Parts: sequence; C-alpha cells; structure tokens
Amino acid sequence: MSVPTASGVRVRRMRPWTPWAFLAPYLLLFAVFMALPIGFGFWTSLHEWDINVPAKPFVGLSNYADLFDPSSVDGPRFWTAMKATGIFTVFSVPLLIVLPLLVALLMNGRFRGRNLYRAVYFAPYVLGVAVVGLLWRFLLDGNIGLVNHYLGLDVQWTTDLPGAWVALIGVTVWWTLGLNSVIFLAGLQDIPRELYEAAMVDGAGAWHRFRAITLPGLRPVTLFVVNATILASANMFGQSYLITVGAPADQTKTAIYLIAETGLRQFDMGTASAMSFVLAAFLMAASGLVFGAFRNRRTAGDTA
Amino acid sequence: MRTELRGLRRSLLHLILAVIAALYLSPLVYMAVTSLKTREGAGSTTPEWIPRPATLDAYREILGSTDFPVVTWFVNSVAAATGHAVLVLVTAAPAAYALARLDFRGRRAAFAVIVATLFVPPVVLLVPNFLIVNELAWVDSLPAVIVPAAAGAFGVFFLRQFFTTLPGELEEAAELDGCNRWQTFARVVLPLAKPALVTLFVLSFLSNWNDFLWPLFVLLSPESLTLPAGLGNFQGANSIRYDLLMAGAMIASIPVLLLYLVAQRWIIEGISRSGLKG
Amino acid sequence: MTRSLSRRSFLGLTGATGLAAALSACGGGTKLGAGGAAQSPAATFSGGEYTGPKVTLDYWNGFTGGDGPHMRAMVDAFNKAFGGRIEVRNVTRQWADLYPAMPTAIAAGKGPDVAVIHNDWISTFAARRVLVPLDDVVGALGLTESDFIPAVWKAGEYDGRRYSVPLDVHCLGDYWNTGHLGRIGLKEAPADGAAYAEALKGLKDAGIEHPFWMPNKWPAHLMFMSLVWQFGGQLYSEDGLRALWGSDAGEQALAWMVEQIDKGFSPAKVAIDSQYAAFKNGQVSLTWDGIWQINDLKTNAPNLKWELSPVPDIGGTPAVWSASHNFVLTAQAGRDGDKMQAAKFFVDYMSKQSTEWAKAGMIPARNSVRQEPEVAALPQIALARNLDVFHFIPALPGVGDVQTKALELAVAKAVLKQASPADALKEGVATADKLLADNKRKYAQ
Repeated sequence: MSVPTASGVRVRRMRPWTPWAFLAPYLLLFAVFMALPIGFGFWTSLHEWDINVPAKPFVGLSNYADLFDPSSVDGPRFWTAMKATGIFTVFSVPLLIVLPLLVALLMNGRFRGRNLYRAVYFAPYVLGVAVVGLLWRFLLDGNIGLVNHYLGLDVQWTTDLPGAWVALIGVTVWWTLGLNSVIFLAGLQDIPRELYEAAMVDGAGAWHRFRAITLPGLRPVTLFVVNATILASANMFGQSYLITVGAPADQTKTAIYLIAETGLRQFDMGTASAMSFVLAAFLMAASGLVFGAFRNRRTAGDTA
Repeated sequence: MRTELRGLRRSLLHLILAVIAALYLSPLVYMAVTSLKTREGAGSTTPEWIPRPATLDAYREILGSTDFPVVTWFVNSVAAATGHAVLVLVTAAPAAYALARLDFRGRRAAFAVIVATLFVPPVVLLVPNFLIVNELAWVDSLPAVIVPAAAGAFGVFFLRQFFTTLPGELEEAAELDGCNRWQTFARVVLPLAKPALVTLFVLSFLSNWNDFLWPLFVLLSPESLTLPAGLGNFQGANSIRYDLLMAGAMIASIPVLLLYLVAQRWIIEGISRSGLKG
Repeated sequence: MTRSLSRRSFLGLTGATGLAAALSACGGGTKLGAGGAAQSPAATFSGGEYTGPKVTLDYWNGFTGGDGPHMRAMVDAFNKAFGGRIEVRNVTRQWADLYPAMPTAIAAGKGPDVAVIHNDWISTFAARRVLVPLDDVVGALGLTESDFIPAVWKAGEYDGRRYSVPLDVHCLGDYWNTGHLGRIGLKEAPADGAAYAEALKGLKDAGIEHPFWMPNKWPAHLMFMSLVWQFGGQLYSEDGLRALWGSDAGEQALAWMVEQIDKGFSPAKVAIDSQYAAFKNGQVSLTWDGIWQINDLKTNAPNLKWELSPVPDIGGTPAVWSASHNFVLTAQAGRDGDKMQAAKFFVDYMSKQSTEWAKAGMIPARNSVRQEPEVAALPQIALARNLDVFHFIPALPGVGDVQTKALELAVAKAVLKQASPADALKEGVATADKLLADNKRKYAQ
C-alpha cells in the first residue's frame, strides 16, 4: 500500500537502531515463545522425547510414520481424534456464523432493553469453559439430567453418538454465540447509514438491502469471525474434556485433547509434537481455503 | 391503525425476545439456584427451581476451603488476564508503530515473518512452549500463563493496521515541535490509538481469562491455579459437589458480568472503531 | 487412566489417614519423635528426630474427598509438634492432576518433597527417577514384608531398592440400598452370581426399573479387573510383555457386565458418575464403588440407608480390585540433605498414625494393625477378612498408559455397545501388547 503520509514524517533522520528499539521487546517474546518453539517442536518430533527420561534417542521421521501406520498404537488414535476435530469444526462453524449474525441484526435495531438483551447473549461467554462444561454435564446427563427431563427424551447426550456431538456443538453455540454477535454488531454499526437511506429512496426491499449493503459491508468482519471461529473450533478441548471426557470410547476426544494428553500427561512429547504438526498442516490448509474464498469473492464483487 | 399494528408487532417481538432470553439464561438461573441449595439438595436428581431450604452454606464453605480457594483463583485470573493484556499492549504497540510508520531496512521482511506466524496454529507451540517454560522454571507460576501467549502476532498485526490509517500530519507537526520518535509515539500516536488499544486489551484479556487448556497443564498447585483450571478440577471429583461448584462459579462470574454490563457500549464501539476491517 | 482412579482414590485418602494409623499402630515398640530412637539404623536415617536447620517440606497428595480433613488434621498435628524445625505444606489435588504434574514439577523444583501415591505408580516413577529410595526409613520403622500383603509390599520395590512406605489398602465394595433389598426380603447383599441375578430380577419385579447401573468409565475397569480375576484370569504376564485380560476369563467378565444391560438391570450408556449419583438418590439398589465413598455417603447423603458388602463372587473365585496408598520421597528432596532427613522423619511420624488414618475409612496395610481391637471394629476392615481376595494391578513401569489406552477403552467400547466384548478385548489386547513392548524398551536399563 502507499504510505503517502509517512513520507512527510521522514523530516528528521532517525538513528538506524531506533526502529529496532521499538521492535525489540516484541521480538524478544517472538523469538523465545514463537520462533524457537516452532523449531524446537519439530526437533522434538524427531525424537523419542520424555521430559523425565534422560535418554532422548533420535528416531527420524518414525513418529510421523507411526501416525500413518494403521497397525501402530498412536495412528488410529490420532485419526479418530482428527475425525472428531473435523466433525466438530464442520458442524459448529456454520452455526457460529449464521446464528450470531442473526442475533446481531436483531440487536442492531432500536428498541428498549437492547443493552440488556445483548448482555444476556454475552453472559455465558464470560463464565469460561470450566463452569459451562461442568454445568452442562450436570444438565445433560442422559438418565438424571434436566434436559431429558424437560424434553421428555431418552437421548444419551454424553455417552452416545450422535447425541454427544449435538450436545457439544449446542453447548459451544450457547457459550460463544455472544462473542461473535458482538463482533458482527460492531461491523454493522460501521456500515454508513446513508447507504441504507439511499437504498430506501431507490425502493429496495429489506432483503435486497441486506444482500446489497449489509453482507458486503460485513465482509471484512466476517472474514475475521470465520477464521477465528475455525481456529477456535479446531482447538476445542474444554467441552469434550469436561462434558463427555471423550466418550463414547474416545470418539469425541479431539486432536488437541489427544495431543495434550499424549504430550503433557503421558509425556510422550515426540509423538505429541508430530501429531501437532500434522494437525497444523490441516488447519493451515483450511485457513488458506477460507482466505482464498474471500479473496475471489472480493475481486468478483469489485469488478461487478 | 398503522401505528397500532406496529405497536402490536413490537410487543410481540418483545415477547419473543423475552422468552428466548429467558430460555437462554435458564441454565445460569439454575446455576444460581443450585448454589443456594444444601449439599444433598444440590445432588438430588429431581429438578428443583426453588431451593428448599435456601442456604448460603455452599458460599461459606467454599470461601473457607483450602482445597478450592476460589478467591485466590479469581485473583490469579484477574492478575494473569490483566498482566497478559498489558504485556501485549506494551510490546505490540511500539512494534506495530515501527512496522507501520518507520522506514528502515528489513521492515518488509520483519513484517512478513511476523504475519506469517498468524497462520501457524497455536497447537504446534503447546509441547515446546511447555518445555521452554519448564526450562525457565516458570511452571506453576503466573509468568507461565501471562507471557508465552503474548508472542502471538495478532496484536502487532491489529495495531499496525490501525496505525497505517492515522493521518501523518500530526506526527509531522510533533516532529517540527522537536519531539523525537519516542515522544511522538508516546504523546501523539498512542492517545490517538486509544480505541484500538482498548479493543486489543479487551480481546487479550478475554482470551486469557477463558484459557483452559494451557493453565490446566502448566499450573500445578491449588493456590496458583486460575479460575478455569481450578474450577475444572471439580471434574475429577467422582461425586461432584454441585452446590460448591455453582457457588464458586457464581463468585467467579458476577464481577465479570457486572463489568461487562457497565463497559459493553465501550467495548462494542472499540471493536467497531478500531478497524477489524483488515 | 488413573484420572478416575485418582478421583476415587481421593476418597481413599480418607484411607491414608488410616494407613498412617495402621503404621503407627504397628510401630510396635519403636517410639519415634517421643524420644525413643528407632531400631537398627539403616543407611542415613535411623529414626531419630530431625535436628538440622529449619526446612519447609511440600507434601502432595490426592486426598480431596472425605479423607482430606483427616489427613489435614494429621499434618496440622505434625506441624504443631515440630513446626519449629519442619514446616509441612499440605498440597491436595485430584489424583488425576497430581500424577501428570508431579514429574515436571519435581524436575522444576516446584513439586513435592514427599508425596502419597498409588502402588501401581511407584515403579513408573521410580523408573523415571522421580523418586529416591528409602530403604533406611523402612529399616528404621522396622517394617518387614511379612507384616504386609505381599503385593502391596512388592509394589514398592524397583530394581532392588525400596521406594515406598505403604500406608493403607483400599478396594472395591458392593454398596446396597437396604430399603430396596428389604422390599424383596433380603437382609444381606447377594454374594454370588446366581443370587445376584435373582436379586436383580426380584428388584426389577418389585418396581425398581434399573437396580444396577453399569458404568462405562470409572469404576467400570475396576469392576472388569475384579471379574477377570474371579473367572480365573490374569491381567499381565510375569515378564510384563503380554496382556492376558483378553482371555476367556476376560471375555466372560466383560460379557457379564454387558449382560446386565441386556437383561434390563442397567440402562444403556450410563454417563460418567451417574450410577453413583443415582445410588445417592435412591434410584439404584446396588452399585460397586471404592470404600473411600463411605465418608461421601455419610456426609452428602445422610438420609440414604445403605450398607457395604464385599464385591459378590460372580466368577467362582472371590477376588476384588485393590490398591494402596504409599508414602514416597522425591528427587526434589533428594537434592537437599536436610530436606531429605526431615522428609524421612515426616514419613516415619505419619506412618505411625495408621490407627488414626483407619478411622478415616481406610484399611491399614499392616497385618498387625488390622488386628488391633480399635481398628478391627471398623466397618471396612470386614472386607479385608480374607486377604487372598485382594488383587492388585501389577507394578510394571508405564502400566498406567496401558490401562488407559487399552484396557479402559476396551471396557468402555463393550459397555457402550460399540463392539462385542470379544472384539473389544481383541483390539485392546493388541494395543496393550504393543505398549508393553514399548515400555519394556523405554524403561530398560
């Protein structure tokens, strides 16, 4: 981009190290907790690495090979977990985009008690996943929980499929809907009112205004929300850890859950690192797809 | 006639909204109700929306408990989230300013490297950062939950986008007045960036406040846990004391909820004015 | 793995007090701390009072249940008596969180100096060099194998050294609702397979829809292991290289568990801990759970009328899963000579309080203590009348991982009807064998 304004600022010469002084504190953090761990993590994944066992033999790519070997112990476990992460992400992200958008549109209107309603939808998010998870585990119990009691159902929300997925996704939507709504709301308030007024003068209906003004106006915010939500969903841990504990038979144990358990509970850090790099490759591919989709649309929209 | 109809529609809308809101909040209400039950009442499997008898025993017990020191957890969480958010601002703001406004060799490369890590899923950092934190002997202490996540590139990226939109004339004027770079940054740019800084603070605070996995593994002793990790410990108890858990959850949530009610306008404005517009 | 174990064990914590009690009671003759020196001084610790500079000891345990207050009282008493020289900081966490945290925390110097852990963790931690040997403490206490259940004693040995001072034993028991059983005229819990089936049928006919809920997680694997032993099976081979729980005995055990659902005695797919919550609420007639639940039931379900019996003999040979709590010293204390001495003194002192600890619900590990009249009258001691029924998970390094990744998963799969018992076991054993081989290699040398 052009930085026309910056050109004027270069009135006075600055010492060559000044910019680096500005950058230094962040770069220090960046080096120690971002750059170093990426390399170190990969290094770890090439070893049989147990934090408490002094010998850490180099094993090359065999931790990775194990993950792709259906007869190994970790391979099938890992892909079951990847599948769990995939299912959760695919089903939760659309809901976490559409519902918050609807709520934001509703809350963008002018009516009494608006702030109160906004607070209502945001409230669960403030609780944090620990409270949310334990609260819902109590409410969702298939035999003695309130949910089945009031719905008159006999669904095992925490020990059976697909019930467990419905429960985990439902709880996640309930928990984080408010956050995404607030961000959409911010985007909505950013769209110039005049655009709507002009459209009304032109006689555009509500649906047309939504398509022609609201949606394009929200595109940047939507990109942010979609990407953040995909990452958050792909990192789902607490809900499964607290509500289903991976049940039934580890099928709702997500990839990050398995990685944390393998690396930080069982201290098989080499395998855990290999798992995290494979998961990361998938996530980066997903992010790439999202950005690609938005970019294409943008150019299409701009030329239209 | 028309206004009447509108009035009717309006109250219908209100009714629907109210019902949805009530349903939405009902689990929280049940949480509040359960926190007021006796320990047997809370363990009962028959739903009861009115605690009989109502008691503050659970609050009394949890406030005096050494195994579940919720107040300590709350203080830890506030300290961790605040510390984290402050650290993000203090490190990201000057870095973002340099990347947005200062012309130097290596700027593009530095920015490219930093932004590239936005696409690195945090999961790859989990195990190595645990090992690094362990090497630093930070395990089981607040720095472990404050510092590592501040290396994320989001703050720098976010503020840089904001700084590039600021008009340059003010900085020029400051330069002419004899301010050096630091003074320009601190006295002119930062005040202008207040909304963006506030937003970044809030986002960083919330993400740290809600973080569960990392503190669960990196904090060990009960008195150093944050709220999510501490409350998550109830999961292990084979018969969960729901009265205690809910009382703890109430103590933990009410201050934050109040804070949000007071500050929500500000937060929303902050988010909208500070250009998530990429 | 031991997550659930841990949590149950926390109840066992209550037991820890008992263990200490047991130990002190059996201390027979040696009076520590009170001036009398212990017997033959072993290596470095001979039982005398700690005389070095003042130290603070971090003491970790998982006694978060009804046993917690007992342990805390014992620690308080210790601090009161020796606070001038030794200050013990009691850190109680869920077992599930305690075990993974311990090695790292110890390596970082922020862990425990002394801890209580379960028998099946000793060899794993010893192999990981998280623990230091305490042959001298055992010598000073005059503890000998003959006074203990052999499996409990042996679990503390690794590579020729002794790493633990056993505190207590705890096991699975059969809790029953006296009102429910009374309805079908039973005054005792049914003690064998036929009687159990008949009672369950009677209870169902008497209007109790599901008298016996079958869990898929904790304590399902403890039930399964008990049944494997009852049907004459074993868990692992002597050399620690093969999982044997997929044998006929294993299939019979798991089939029995699944059958309870098929016969309608249990609802399908019971959620974690539901069976216990339902028992507390009078919806379940019989449930198997650890003896550490005694205190929980007493305090949190005071209106429930219940009794505790030994787990019924379903398979033909009485057997029940058991475990023990053990004092251990860590490598962290090992780095500081004074701490080491103080920690040994602490273990020595605590282990003499085992009568006290027994009152918290646990079974003292020492045979001699269990015979003391004061202890013998406690309800849980009845379960230990025949020690031959107590079976333990063998002390193989890394066995915790094998249990979680293979055995517990197989049980969950079968109970949740994701696979037939035979298939679940076959798959589980294959996984277990690979893990056992890995462990053998990893912990070799």
